[in-house]
Amino acid sequence: MTVATASPRPLYPPKPPGLRRYREQLTTLGVFVFLAFLPWIPILGWTDIFDSGNNFGRGNLAFVFAYGAAAVGFNLLVGYSGTLGLAVAGLFALGAYGTAVLSAPSDAREALAGYDWPFFLALPVVCIAAAIIGVLVGFPAARLKGFFLAIATLALGELIVTIIRLDDDVWSGLKTNGGTGKQVPQFLIPGLDRILSVYMLSLGALVLMMLAYIVLTNRRLGRTLKAVRDIDIATGPLGISSTYYKLVAFGLSAFAAALAGAMWAQNSSFANPQTFRTRLLVFLLVVLIVGGLGRKWGPLIGAVFFVFLRQKLQDTQKLLFLILGIALILAVLVLPNGIAVLPKQIRDSRWVKDLQRRLESLLDFST
Amino acid sequence: MSVVEASPPGANPTEGVASLAVDDLHVAFGGNQVLLGVDLQFDPGFNGLIGPNGAGKTTVFNVVSGYVRRSQGAVRLHGEDVLHMSRTQRVKAGIGRTFQAPRLILDATVMENTLLGRHHLFRWGHFAELLLLPQQRREETEARQICMDMLDRFGLADLAHEEAGALSLGSQKLVEVARALVADPTVVLLDEPAAGLGADDVTVLLRGLRQLQAERDLCVIIIEHDLQLVTSLCPKISVLHFGEIISEGSPEHVTTDPAVIEAYLGHGFEAEEGGDIHEVEGPLSEHHHIDHVEEESTLEEVWTEDDAPEQEEPS
Repeated sequence: MTVATASPRPLYPPKPPGLRRYREQLTTLGVFVFLAFLPWIPILGWTDIFDSGNNFGRGNLAFVFAYGAAAVGFNLLVGYSGTLGLAVAGLFALGAYGTAVLSAPSDAREALAGYDWPFFLALPVVCIAAAIIGVLVGFPAARLKGFFLAIATLALGELIVTIIRLDDDVWSGLKTNGGTGKQVPQFLIPGLDRILSVYMLSLGALVLMMLAYIVLTNRRLGRTLKAVRDIDIATGPLGISSTYYKLVAFGLSAFAAALAGAMWAQNSSFANPQTFRTRLLVFLLVVLIVGGLGRKWGPLIGAVFFVFLRQKLQDTQKLLFLILGIALILAVLVLPNGIAVLPKQIRDSRWVKDLQRRLESLLDFST
Repeated sequence: MSVVEASPPGANPTEGVASLAVDDLHVAFGGNQVLLGVDLQFDPGFNGLIGPNGAGKTTVFNVVSGYVRRSQGAVRLHGEDVLHMSRTQRVKAGIGRTFQAPRLILDATVMENTLLGRHHLFRWGHFAELLLLPQQRREETEARQICMDMLDRFGLADLAHEEAGALSLGSQKLVEVARALVADPTVVLLDEPAAGLGADDVTVLLRGLRQLQAERDLCVIIIEHDLQLVTSLCPKISVLHFGEIISEGSPEHVTTDPAVIEAYLGHGFEAEEGGDIHEVEGPLSEHHHIDHVEEESTLEEVWTEDDAPEQEEPS
């Protein structure tokens, strides 16, 4: 009884012919190659900020990668699953302090004392622990929505930071050195200096998160998370447990935040509880929203934007917040989908379409 | 007052057990009693569930699919109690449903939206997805083939890779019906599937539903305000009014039942032999007396459409 089909219907969206069918893979490859060689490319006057000549430039790029990795996870949670979980700053701190304390030598002085774990054991343990905490928090939080969820998770993030800060004053054994701050033991990749090994580590973390993120969002998980975001009420009759998928998003974003925190700590070599207050959350929100919420390349673009701006305005910290605020407002008003959609918007704009037509008619020799 | 219609011979695998049975269902929202002891039996085939606005039709669906808690009563799917199950478990047990307003991801393609319906049938998890296992890829392709065949039945195959937000309301509703059906349900609850559809879309919808019902021996339960559609499609119709079943049976029986006419149109109407309805003088002496009769006959227009020549051939 089915309608006879002459040719089999395409099951996947049709791809353009030639090299363009690999556009996505080529873009991904291009972005990572660009990132790896960015310090050595003098463009847009970025040389003074992302310069290879000085350690400071590469350090800045490592910050871009760390913020990008955190924002990737944050994007999965907020942009894809539509769950406004704001514990990311606390989990970032957990990653930073966790790796610092676990991998520090046990016989050092207080600011650098730890548990003697190898760095590459401490890193996954801390990230997985953060993911588990994220899921545990998600259990009650997944029942909340909007504001209530935001407040509950914000409180959790603050709680983690407070636990770190109160060490030695109220309890001891965490070796976080209380409010004074913790010196972070450096992990050196053999054969590389400090800055370059931090750079490579951070790039590795970002590539890992980015690849997992691209693979997952292009497939079933991506559409399921979108279903939780857009048609939460209808997920039941589709056999999708929205609570389960919110927990998955919580876990993945917590993992990313802890990984990014560890990279951030390696780069800044000193961690202070004050760094991880709500300010960091605002930074990550700026990265996410200015870059493009729910867009593939949004987190990365936002991270480049943010670190560039921060470095340009490093002498006037108050102005930084002013300009970040303005950028956030402008992003919401003018570019609600972030910088990531700017190329598409330009491509679809009337002027460009008109120009394209003119060019085509100029080049059309048949008439 | 449940009337069990004879099911198609040899069609029911569990003979004598209704596909979906609702026993003495009570639901209250606060002090507002919405369902007052509803008994319903649905067998494979098309079942109509009609009634004026606010009668509790969608509430019955909501209880069956797990959105509303009942205060009393039982719901059994092929003889098995479903009320202790989660919504997800009910889908796995074979209950599919659609909503009055289409609920699609507007920035995902029609294909992706339809694939959501097969979500619970995927055996490989997201970890396999992350590792790009070929088995997972094969499973995805199989699911896409099934979805494409289903979309084809509802005339949507050419739109499969369009964004759902770009579709008309009618097409969106068809996508939602297709999505409910790719989940391989045995009982499908359709909440006003034809509302807002054009005549062409209704034809496509009914053709697709009839084919699938015949092939898979589905139990399709339809809430619909278009009485012409319901009477032409469903051999058995139940009428719900203020949380009670006031009439049940064949389309002829239901459309001429004085209680139904009173519920829809208020006092002072009665049906003639051919199903025509006209106003009568004086009070009606009815044995089915309803206390709360709506003043407005909101469905009068729909009702009179019933007199129009039928476009759809009854199966």
